[in-house]
Amino acid sequence: MQLFWLSVGFGLVTASVLAVSAVGLSLQFGITNYINFAYGDFMALGAYFSYALNNELLHLNIWVATVCGSVGMGLFAVLVNHFILAPFARRFRKTFYVLIVTFGLSLVLLNLEYSIWGADVRFFNMPMDRAHHLGPILLTNAQLIVMGIAVLLMLGVHTLLKTTRLGKSMRAMSDNTSLAMTSGIDTKRITTITWFLSGTLAGLSGTVLGITEGNLTPAAGELFLFVIFAAVIVGGVGSIYGAMAGALLIGLATEISAAYINPAYKLDIAFVILILTLLVRPSGLFARPGKA
Amino acid sequence: MPALCAEAVSAGYGRSPIITGISLTAELGTVTTIIGPNGAGKSTFIKSLVGILRPMSGRVIVNDVDITHLAGHRIPGHGMVYVPQNDNVFKRLTVRENLEVGGFASRADPRSRMEEVLGIFTDLAKAVDKKAGFLSGGQQNLLAIARALMVDPAVILLDEPTAGLSPAYTDVVWNQIERISHLNTAAVVVEQNVERALKHSDHVHIFVAGRNHVNGTADEIASLDLPSIFLGRS
Repeated sequence: MQLFWLSVGFGLVTASVLAVSAVGLSLQFGITNYINFAYGDFMALGAYFSYALNNELLHLNIWVATVCGSVGMGLFAVLVNHFILAPFARRFRKTFYVLIVTFGLSLVLLNLEYSIWGADVRFFNMPMDRAHHLGPILLTNAQLIVMGIAVLLMLGVHTLLKTTRLGKSMRAMSDNTSLAMTSGIDTKRITTITWFLSGTLAGLSGTVLGITEGNLTPAAGELFLFVIFAAVIVGGVGSIYGAMAGALLIGLATEISAAYINPAYKLDIAFVILILTLLVRPSGLFARPGKA
Repeated sequence: MPALCAEAVSAGYGRSPIITGISLTAELGTVTTIIGPNGAGKSTFIKSLVGILRPMSGRVIVNDVDITHLAGHRIPGHGMVYVPQNDNVFKRLTVRENLEVGGFASRADPRSRMEEVLGIFTDLAKAVDKKAGFLSGGQQNLLAIARALMVDPAVILLDEPTAGLSPAYTDVVWNQIERISHLNTAAVVVEQNVERALKHSDHVHIFVAGRNHVNGTADEIASLDLPSIFLGRS
C-alpha cells in the first residue's frame, strides 16, 4: 500500500507538469488551428534558458531562473511565430503545410540545443531538499512547489478565459476567427499574445520537468510531447479543461502503473488509455464540436 | 450626410473583380436592400465594405470617415457592423458572452447597452446563459444581429438574415430590422426574396453581374419589369 501512495505522489507531480504543458499546447492550437510539433523542443529550450540563468550566466535561484527562462521562451515563441510560422500560415490556407514547418522547426531547435549545450545530461543547481509527509503521500519541497505552480496556473488560465476581455477574445477567436475580426477583435494581437502564453507555459513545464526528473537533456521535451498528446487527445482536442483532466488521468495512471509493472512501459500505458478513451468517446472526454 | 457612402467600389478574389464600380448610400433611419440574381456580387460587395475583402478601387465612407483602408477589426469602432449569413454567432460562448464580445469595440458602458439590446430581443433575454450553439437557427440570427447592435452602430450590414428560416421567423427577423432602423441606424440588407425586400425597405438596389443595375425607392423598383432584369432580358 505504501508503494501505491508513493506512486500517487509521483503521479500528481507528473500530472502537474503535464497539465501546464498540455494547456499551453491547447491554447495555441485553439487559436491557430494547427498543432505545433516543435512544442516539445520549446519545452526543452525553455528549460535550457532557465538552466543557463541558474547555472551558467547569473547563477539565479532556481525558481527565479524558472520564471525568467519561461518568459524568455514566451518571447522566443512570439518571434518564431512572427518570422517563421505566421508567414507560412498566411501563404497557405491548408494548415497541413504549417504542420510540416513545425516538424522542421522541431529538428532545427533540437540540434540548436545540441550544438550549444551538447548531449551531456545537465543538472539544475537546487538547494538541499526535504521530504514531507502529507498523509500517506511523500513529497519534496520542489515537488510541492511544482504542484502549487500548476494549481495556481490552472486557476489563472480559467480566470483569464472566463472573466477577462482578453480571455473572451481568445475564446471567440478560437470559435470563429473571421467573425471575431469583423466583431472588432484584433486577431493578430490575440495570436501574438497566445504564442507568448503558449511559449511561456512550454518553457515553464520544460523547466519543472527537468526539476522533477532531476536532469535535463535536449531530447527530454520531444519524448514528453507524446505523453502531452495523449493527455490532450484523451481530454478532447482544443478543450482547455479537457487538457487539464487528461493530464490528471494520464499522469496518475502512468506513475501508478510504474509502481507495479516495469516503468519502461509508462508511455505504452499512456497510449493504452488513449486508445480506450477513443473507443468509448471518439472525440475525447471534453470534446468541443467543430474542432478537428 | 449619409451614414454609409460607398463610391465606385470594385472588389473580388485574386486579380479579377467580381463587382465593378458599385456606389451605394444609406441614410440613418432607413432600410436599404440589395437584391439580384445568384452570383451578382451582393455578398462580395458587403464583404468589401467590412474589410474581409479589400476594395481594388473606390472608397467607403462611414460617418464622414474614410474607412477604405482600415483594418477590419477597427471598422466596428467607426460605427459599421456586419452580420454574416452563416456561422454568425460564437457557438461555444454563451448568449451573454456573445453580446459582451460584440461590445468590445464600443467605448460605452457594455452593461447598460446589453440591457437596451436585450430589451429589443426579449427572447434572448431568457437565454443569456445558454451556449449560442444550442439556440435554433432563427434565434442564432437574432443573436448575431443583437451582438452587432452592441456597438450602437450607425450602419448595420446584414447578409441574407432570413435565409433558411421558417416564414414565421422570417417575419420576426424583418420586424426587428425595421425596428432597428427606426432607432436611427442605417440597415443595409442582402435579400433573396424580392417581395419581402420591396415590402420592408425604403431603398432597393438591384445588382446584376457585378454591377449596380438599377436603384431607387421601393415603389420605383416595384414598377419595373423585375422578371426581365433577373432573367437577364433587359
